[in-house]
Amino acid sequence: MRSASKKQPVVMPEELAIRIEELSISYKINVDTKRTLKNAVMRASKGEKVRTRVVEAVKNMTLDVPHGSVLGIVGANGAGKSTLMRSIAGILPPTSGRIIVNGKISTLLALGVGFNPALSGRDNIILGGLASGMSREEIENKTEEIADFAALPDGFIDMPVRTYSSGMYGRVAFSVAVNMTPDILLLDEALSAGDASFKEKSFTRMRELCAEARTIIIVSHALATVTELCDSAIWMHKGTMLAQGKPDAIVDQYLKFLDVGALPSNFEDM
Amino acid sequence: MRLMSESSAKSDFQSKIQVFEPHRASLPPLIPYFKEFWKRRAFAIELSRFADKAEYLDSKFGKVWLVLNPVLLALVYYLLVTVIRASKSHNNGLTTLAHILIGLFTFYFAQNCINSGALSITAGGRLILNQAFPRALLPFSSTISAFWAFLPTIPVYIFVIVVGKYFYPATQVPGFTWNYLWVPFIVICVGVTGFGLALLFATMNVYFRDTNKLLQYMTRIWLYLCPVLWLPSALHGWHRILLTINPLGPTLAATSNVWIEGIAPTHSEIIGSIAWALASVLVGGYFFISRERDFAVRI
Repeated sequence: MRSASKKQPVVMPEELAIRIEELSISYKINVDTKRTLKNAVMRASKGEKVRTRVVEAVKNMTLDVPHGSVLGIVGANGAGKSTLMRSIAGILPPTSGRIIVNGKISTLLALGVGFNPALSGRDNIILGGLASGMSREEIENKTEEIADFAALPDGFIDMPVRTYSSGMYGRVAFSVAVNMTPDILLLDEALSAGDASFKEKSFTRMRELCAEARTIIIVSHALATVTELCDSAIWMHKGTMLAQGKPDAIVDQYLKFLDVGALPSNFEDM
Repeated sequence: MRLMSESSAKSDFQSKIQVFEPHRASLPPLIPYFKEFWKRRAFAIELSRFADKAEYLDSKFGKVWLVLNPVLLALVYYLLVTVIRASKSHNNGLTTLAHILIGLFTFYFAQNCINSGALSITAGGRLILNQAFPRALLPFSSTISAFWAFLPTIPVYIFVIVVGKYFYPATQVPGFTWNYLWVPFIVICVGVTGFGLALLFATMNVYFRDTNKLLQYMTRIWLYLCPVLWLPSALHGWHRILLTINPLGPTLAATSNVWIEGIAPTHSEIIGSIAWALASVLVGGYFFISRERDFAVRI
């Protein structure tokens, strides 16, 4: 990892929620599948070096996201979308460049948000809230609201999460993320949880968040979600932002690039 | 266009204006890191409480196992040391039993910190991929769990000694002494040493997933090298270096002095305990924090 070069002053126009300045993110990964001490000792005894590969997940990206906007990110697998989201959330610091975020972030970047399957949904909501920086009192006041939003069948909220279906699991996770009163909500492939009625409820909740000038960034392969919910979109490919603009135009460009046309499957939640 | 003030509010976590920049010398800004660590201590405490709840949810004896396990193990070691080896134990073996009990309880405290702490990062994968928070909270939570598991063993020890002294009043194991005021010092030193080593092994476990398996053997050997199954006074001459180079050596020797001899720890034991606690937490902490960025891509 390179260290920061000369420090730039923090300049953030008030209307912006997120400013990304010349952001690059790279990391090293081990090529060997078995990451064990035994293998490391064996390699060392043979004088072999650890085989690593540098992944340049995001390359020199600059972007401003205003408050109250919904930004969609589209791109093929390995485009760097999830890495970018983790970097905006502060989970993965940049290799170079800078991200300035104005507001409290709530995230749904990994399925299950660290749920302990042996604990009840209610216990997991409390843990999720505390992990996101809320106080015990704040999260306890929110628990009922979150449980109501998830709308699980009777009594399920107090049952171990391991007894949940995948849809119920996703509903609780989504409910935790959107009910934390975030200024900025980051969702990575999170809208496929639940049935049609829950999806509609999710969309309504997100529109409410936007009306309150909160900012949402959505990564989705369900292009209908991007065109329906977002007011702007970017297309990423192999770590580079190739295009930025209106969602319909970006989705068209992306589909042309994929050379698959507007197939129904591209617009469905997967 | 109005500009926000050139805020100095820099954080890697959840303040209003957050600036995420490359880490200098692989380390995040340490002051915000420790501030956030302290601010989110409730998360570590609750995580520990919920982890214990989840672990013993399906167990009939529940948390009784936390005490029962080291007590049964202490009895096994007592049999090994006294009956099978036919070693001559003075005071009807009560001193030996007391020494093994308190030594094992204390050693178990450190071992639990390290073993569950070592798994805390790889087991907390989803949480790590979804939330930005100081990752050191996860091994810290394991240390809290280990402390809560250790605490009820003290009344068990006291109960054994009170009953033992009733039947064998001539035993040298002391009754109440003001030197028991050294116990919190010992507990803190063991906890800090355990936390520091947990940070170290939690990081290693991210890179080498069999670290935890190796740890099981390492801690077993470590137990034999600690003054738990033998008294510190059994070492003479240069062998006494074993008490110095062992991270728990000075602390367990101090444990033996306070609980078994009823005397205060020696100066070397006090200095050694503090030195190992500081060294463990500094080395383990640096190793852990400097590699935190890797956790999100290696898990």
